[in-house]
Amino acid sequence: MHRVGVFVCHCGINIAQNVDVEALTEYASTLDGVVVSKNYKYMCSDVGATLIKDMIKQHKLDAVVVASCSPRMHEHTFREVVSDGGINPYRLEMANIREHCSWAHSDKQQATEKAKSLIRSAVAKAKLLESLTPSKIPVTPNALVIGGGIAGIQASLDLANDGFKVYLVEQEPTIGGRMAQLDKTFPTLDCSSCILTPKMMEVANHSNIELLTYSEVVGLEGSIGNYKVKIKKKPRYIDIEKCTGCGDCAANCRLKNRIDSEFDMGMGKRGAAYMPFPQAVPLKYTIDAKHCLFLTRGKCGDKPACKEACLQNAINFDQKEEIIEVKVGAIVVTTGYDLLDPTSMYEYGYANSPDVITTLELERLISSSGPTKGEILRPSDKQKPKSVTFILCVGSRDETQCSWCCRIGCMSVLKHVYLLREKLGEDLEINICYTDIRSYGKGYEEFYRKIRGLKTNMFRGRPSEVRDMKTYQKIDVFDTTTNKLFEIKTDMIVLVPALVPRKNSSELARLLRLTLSGDGFLLEAHPKLRPVDTFVNGIFIAGCCQGPKDIQDTVSQASGAASKAANILSKKELEIDPLITTVDEEVCTGCGICVEVCPYEARELNEKKKVARVIEALCMGCGACISACPSNASIHKNFTKKQLLNMVDDIV
Amino acid sequence: MKKKYALFTGCMMSTEQYSYELSVRESLPVLEIELVDLEGFSCCGEPMKSVNQLLMLYLSARNLAIAEKNALPIFAPCAMCHLALSECKHILENNKELKDRINGMLSAEDLNYTGSVDIVHTVDLLHDIVGLEEIKKHVKKPLTGLKFATHYGCHLIRPSEIGRPVNSENPLKMEEILRILGAEPVNYYPEKLDCCGGILQINLPESALTKTGQKLKAIQEYGFNGLVDVCPWCHRMYDAKQVKAGETVATKLEVPVFYLTQLLGLAFGIEKEKLGLDLNLSPVDKIVLKEASG
Repeated sequence: MHRVGVFVCHCGINIAQNVDVEALTEYASTLDGVVVSKNYKYMCSDVGATLIKDMIKQHKLDAVVVASCSPRMHEHTFREVVSDGGINPYRLEMANIREHCSWAHSDKQQATEKAKSLIRSAVAKAKLLESLTPSKIPVTPNALVIGGGIAGIQASLDLANDGFKVYLVEQEPTIGGRMAQLDKTFPTLDCSSCILTPKMMEVANHSNIELLTYSEVVGLEGSIGNYKVKIKKKPRYIDIEKCTGCGDCAANCRLKNRIDSEFDMGMGKRGAAYMPFPQAVPLKYTIDAKHCLFLTRGKCGDKPACKEACLQNAINFDQKEEIIEVKVGAIVVTTGYDLLDPTSMYEYGYANSPDVITTLELERLISSSGPTKGEILRPSDKQKPKSVTFILCVGSRDETQCSWCCRIGCMSVLKHVYLLREKLGEDLEINICYTDIRSYGKGYEEFYRKIRGLKTNMFRGRPSEVRDMKTYQKIDVFDTTTNKLFEIKTDMIVLVPALVPRKNSSELARLLRLTLSGDGFLLEAHPKLRPVDTFVNGIFIAGCCQGPKDIQDTVSQASGAASKAANILSKKELEIDPLITTVDEEVCTGCGICVEVCPYEARELNEKKKVARVIEALCMGCGACISACPSNASIHKNFTKKQLLNMVDDIV
Repeated sequence: MKKKYALFTGCMMSTEQYSYELSVRESLPVLEIELVDLEGFSCCGEPMKSVNQLLMLYLSARNLAIAEKNALPIFAPCAMCHLALSECKHILENNKELKDRINGMLSAEDLNYTGSVDIVHTVDLLHDIVGLEEIKKHVKKPLTGLKFATHYGCHLIRPSEIGRPVNSENPLKMEEILRILGAEPVNYYPEKLDCCGGILQINLPESALTKTGQKLKAIQEYGFNGLVDVCPWCHRMYDAKQVKAGETVATKLEVPVFYLTQLLGLAFGIEKEKLGLDLNLSPVDKIVLKEASG
């Protein structure tokens, strides 16, 4: 004999307005197996919960049906209520009479009839519900952070300070990322490296952080709490145990000042033996295998000059790529962004003239550790420009390129205006072609006001053409505030390109089983309420890999992701949701179709028994294997064929 | 292998820009292109566009249907005709109702439009279909040492969403062809994409000539040997109206202006008379004579 209780919620008037809740309650009491049915204004309130608990005890209920909102909203709440009442939390079934009924229909009578059907089928299932118990898995208390920019640095430090072992993987020879390339930061004009370098040093010296620079993640197995990560350590051809960072190798490299420096965005040159910038962490040199004469041709003069010069004997051309494996419980992805390459946007002239540069290139010109030692010189003739024009939204907010706003362009240009005024004086002409000035952050609008006072010509419009007149650049721009076409003659143009995902980000996403949003950035589990979670349990995202943002937001998000990871790592054991799939080994033929269709790699074949097996920690309960299984051997707990057919039988 | 095209001359080539038609008819057969004249071709429809779009579509579709009936692709050397026909194809591809309506009108002449006809222009015919390698084989008198500026014209480059023969922001196909002919075109000069002014001629003749003059003046100042174009409307501005345009910008202009097909013919060794060079009003002799002597 079944003993089901039905509880109908009014949801204020959300349900009661369109569904006759009294009639519904009375109807429910007539259903086979139902021993009690009640209604209340807010079933999710304390009073509603107490009502359910009391009824469970009073009528010795063995299953509960709550007719209210979507299970996404309150299933968790009512599971706890039912559990407190003394029955297994998985013996709860919800009938969604709000989103699926009262909100969707206007005819009260018909809506009530539909609600009756929904309750009838919920009761049919409730009678067949099984008690389930979550299984438990142990947790490896280590974290992996991928990407050593400011987001990765912040997340690593937070986790390390919480007492967890952190592996920080960075593909470049140094950590620091984009922030290290900047001169000053907006709106406070803090010197970027002055605030970043101490954090980089802290990472280097932290006993809980194992820094893996010039390395890449190449493989991932396992699941939340217990990931196995394969990391490729690229050969530096310099033994970092021996290297003292003296620089003799770089000073003697035969290719010195011959290769475009990636760190200086091609504005400066480096050799094949190099350190990206003087404050690099680790303070070690690297030999670039793509250019090094010895590594590409097997010959560099009589003997490799760097090897001759190195007193520590640190240079080792026999170094090989190495794959290591680490075990971690949680992962934070902070891989950052790239700038859109404006070469293909011919109208902006980047392809034609060296005097059209990007914001990051300007950062390197302004930086005192940059290729010009902080002097702003026009690339073509190395003269100080008398007029500089900024073009905002290059590729941003543009349907043909990137539809999104880069969120840092406006503020970075305002900052540059300040710095250029400071460095080149009052006589410098500064023009800005903008779409809208977006100064939305704390202190940003105030900064904008301050910059507006600095004699800046503002044109609201996107230039239609930039013409390279060799000695100067000519810009055609239609100003939409005055409805006039302007021709600007300027010495140097700074483009503010869109922020785009890192080149290899889709590859990394595939490796980590993460989802990309339409724009190519990594997708968060919920844009508002789960902004650092992903759809893979135990993997979190922070910073610009999720979408464009400034340093302030990046650091907050990194700390958020770190504390989310710490939530997992601080537990000895993790509970696994039992609403997952299982295999009826009697029926399974071991065909392996489920292994192929499973998007979470939660299925494997037991070759010996010739049956499929579910890796419980990986299964997300999506049900793909259920529909794919040709022999009905795949079973979704509490969504069994028998339960579902019973629901259908009762309403048709 | 010989390729056959229905030649769509349009109004300009058959009423005043004879040199384009002459040079097309002379130089393309060298490349195994057979040009067929179909009976019944009319105006492309473009001039009616601002007055009556249905009329424009009807005229374009009618021409395309005639080519369809003869199972021939259309070769429209005029960039404006090429745009009108391409736009018609694009619109009717996406609007079945309109297509049915137009077909109803065409049935009076026993014509039917399905949209199966390919439409090519001089530039893509030479660059993409014939190919640079094939052109190279026929070059007998390379245009060595001649530095040319190119002008593509608005109809050839925009709107890119309906599919145009060249890239709208950085067209380079003409330069590549000229290079194969032995000339030294320059990929970029600041005024390369500027308008010829032709489109303003009726309403704002002064502005039109200023646009023409400014571009020619720049080309002259940069020291180019000449300007190459592929649109009869642009050519009329740069060639026939050069003197007037010069007066408008207060400069004596002496820029030789050629159709691409005229230079193609010269490089193939065809006599200049056959290419209609004596019909060019700009001082093309500066180059033609040099060619003949060199």
